[in-house]
Amino acid sequence: MSVIDWVDERLDLTEVRQFVAEKGVPVHAQKIWYYLGGMTLFLFSVQLFTGILLLLYYRPSAAEAYESVQFVVTQVKFGWLIRNVHSWSANLLIALAFAHFFSVFFLKSYRKPRELTWVSGMLLLFLMLGFGFSGYLLPWNELSFFATKVGTGIAGAVPVIGRFSLRLLRGGDDVTGATLSRFYGLHVAVLPALATALVGVHLLLVQRQGMSVPIDVEKKLKPGERLRQMPFFPNYILRDVLAWYLVIAVLAALAAFYPWELGTKADPFAVVPPGIRPEWYFLAMFHTLKLVPSHVLGIEGERLGVIAFGIAALFLVLVPFLDRRASRGERSPLFTVLAALGLVYLISFTIIGRYAK
Amino acid sequence: MARTIALTFVILLGGARAFAAPGIVPVTANTCVACHSTLADRRLANPTRLFGGQDVHRERGFDCVDCHGGSPTSPDKAAAHDASGRVSAMAFRGKPTGRAVIATCARCHSDAELMRTFAPRQRVDQATEYATSVHGKRLTAGDTRAATCASCHGAHGIRLVSDAKSPVFPTNVATTCAGCHADPARMNGYTLADGSPLPTRQFADYQKSVHFAALTKGNDLSAPTCNDCHGNHGAAPPNVGAVANVCGTCHAVFAQKFAASVHEAIFDKGCVECHANHAVAKPSDQMLSATAPGVCQPCHNGDDKTDKGAAAAADMRGDIERLKTGIEHSSAALAHLKNAGIEVSDPQLALREAGTRLTLARTEMHGFDPAHVAPILADGMTIVATVDRAAQSGAAELTFRRRGLFVSLGAILVFVVALGLKVRQIDRRDHERRTQSAGR
Repeated sequence: MSVIDWVDERLDLTEVRQFVAEKGVPVHAQKIWYYLGGMTLFLFSVQLFTGILLLLYYRPSAAEAYESVQFVVTQVKFGWLIRNVHSWSANLLIALAFAHFFSVFFLKSYRKPRELTWVSGMLLLFLMLGFGFSGYLLPWNELSFFATKVGTGIAGAVPVIGRFSLRLLRGGDDVTGATLSRFYGLHVAVLPALATALVGVHLLLVQRQGMSVPIDVEKKLKPGERLRQMPFFPNYILRDVLAWYLVIAVLAALAAFYPWELGTKADPFAVVPPGIRPEWYFLAMFHTLKLVPSHVLGIEGERLGVIAFGIAALFLVLVPFLDRRASRGERSPLFTVLAALGLVYLISFTIIGRYAK
Repeated sequence: MARTIALTFVILLGGARAFAAPGIVPVTANTCVACHSTLADRRLANPTRLFGGQDVHRERGFDCVDCHGGSPTSPDKAAAHDASGRVSAMAFRGKPTGRAVIATCARCHSDAELMRTFAPRQRVDQATEYATSVHGKRLTAGDTRAATCASCHGAHGIRLVSDAKSPVFPTNVATTCAGCHADPARMNGYTLADGSPLPTRQFADYQKSVHFAALTKGNDLSAPTCNDCHGNHGAAPPNVGAVANVCGTCHAVFAQKFAASVHEAIFDKGCVECHANHAVAKPSDQMLSATAPGVCQPCHNGDDKTDKGAAAAADMRGDIERLKTGIEHSSAALAHLKNAGIEVSDPQLALREAGTRLTLARTEMHGFDPAHVAPILADGMTIVATVDRAAQSGAAELTFRRRGLFVSLGAILVFVVALGLKVRQIDRRDHERRTQSAGR
């Protein structure tokens, strides 16, 4: 008797067997984009695994954080690999999450009935950015310290709750050991709990509703014609695993050849080093805020920028409800243009922000 | 006419405090400014402009009469300039020159009680110091060209020493001194103690020095300028025997080592023998040699095997170079490892300690005793050896990582190929199944 039979005898896996046997993935020219979600999920699990291992040695205090990471990198067997994979995987995860986001945006996969899948995905993207922001400070090095000072300072520009949120994030008026404790709590408890729950919801919705088919592909189908499906098990899942292996290979090469530098320990009394920038995924936003004049129509420029980003985030969450044409299964060029503009903005401002003085 | 109108205006102001005066002579209006500001002769008009601008004395309530005397309220020229003391409590003294400048300034600046009310921490012995200076002595001897207070600080428009625009602000001192001392015409006739003409190249030499670079390029206001070695109010060349003390004010440890050395009794000019005075160049290890370009060679002969001094210099230099080369090699090895992602903060910190030993040895060298220098350098070499071992271990770790990566990438590649073949096999089977069912 196999293990599955043993479980089946006790839990009755008929429904699961049926689901596995029937689940299919639409086959069309743009099915390549389907892999991005799986790869992002794979990297999320890599983050959980390496993060738990790092937790065994990390000490969340201003006095010990840097030294504990240094210990992991120099003294712990394969600690350097775990830390480098965690750092690189975090960046690849956010890059792939953005790629997944734009592929869904361009293909209009958010349209009815997948509005909630999109909303949960958007919230996950914001959570991933939160992971990046909170994790950046944890090694307590000079760059992350001052970048967090700038980043939390931007949070202070949020209207009405700015001062409160700044103090809430920092645990005081300035970035100190209290900030590190808070970021640690967020990074290893609050965000993982929220993200795991949201990933569950997101996956449940994807499994329940199946893969979305692009509007153009749908329109080309003759009446009564059904798009060919590829069995999820094993045809698609094996392709997914193949993609994950490629991701592992890239991660291993990056970790070995481009190790994540630890830098020098943060010194709150040191002069701000030149060229302080946030991580690449915040560069576009950071550079935009730098370009906004100090005052626009009597409103503080930074505050106005933060309000604009808030509105943009809300707009993105509500896209499925605003794009009425897509929800009717029609082409919606306006939203395609908006997605293209957003992509051009993000890429160009990230590059400009990287090289701006 | 203009003068009359201006004068009338000032008098009409009555109680208005055109130049508020909590100073020595309270005034309600200033006829000095009213008249002098309209004079065509710039020598007489410019002081009102300068004094009316930024001037530390005016800002503290002092007025023209506090230095020049006279009546600041009298509209009549003769009465305003009355030197008899009958019109005003302050008899008109005119433009002070020579020793009168010192007396005028000292009237307040040597009065501890008065100065306490304006600048409690300011010294009040400038005039006493000045009397001991070469400038002061020459003035007393009747040399009217000798510098007085106004020569350096200005007469009107005087700024605080801490004001960056003051001619005696650290970055401006050398230029101010050079105003006279770099001018061959002005220095003509002045001689050194040995009777030779007073040189005028000091400023040009100083501009080549490490001190000038630190002050002007490094923005280090504590870097020495003229007054730090010569004194300011008591300005004089340091006596031959005092040179080491002057340099030792900042370079204390070097001075201490030198004082205990064999050279202390031999060197007439102390530090200057090797380092020069105004053109103090950045010291280098090359200086420690009895062959060119070393500075030991005027006294020692590097080619003479019996010259103990030359041998000592060669010994110390050799040890210093060995440690220096060792540090450079280790540093390059660590930098390579760091670039490759190996964490090397601990050996880098240790190497910094070796650098400290090198600095200590260079300092100890001023005692000119190889027996004291060698142990310090040996300590440094021991540290370098430890760092080298850490670097070798890091290099081995790097090789291990690279090999490990290639092995795992190979394994991944094999798995990916196998998976790809399996996918193709499944796809082909599915395709055949679809074709068969379509055929039925």
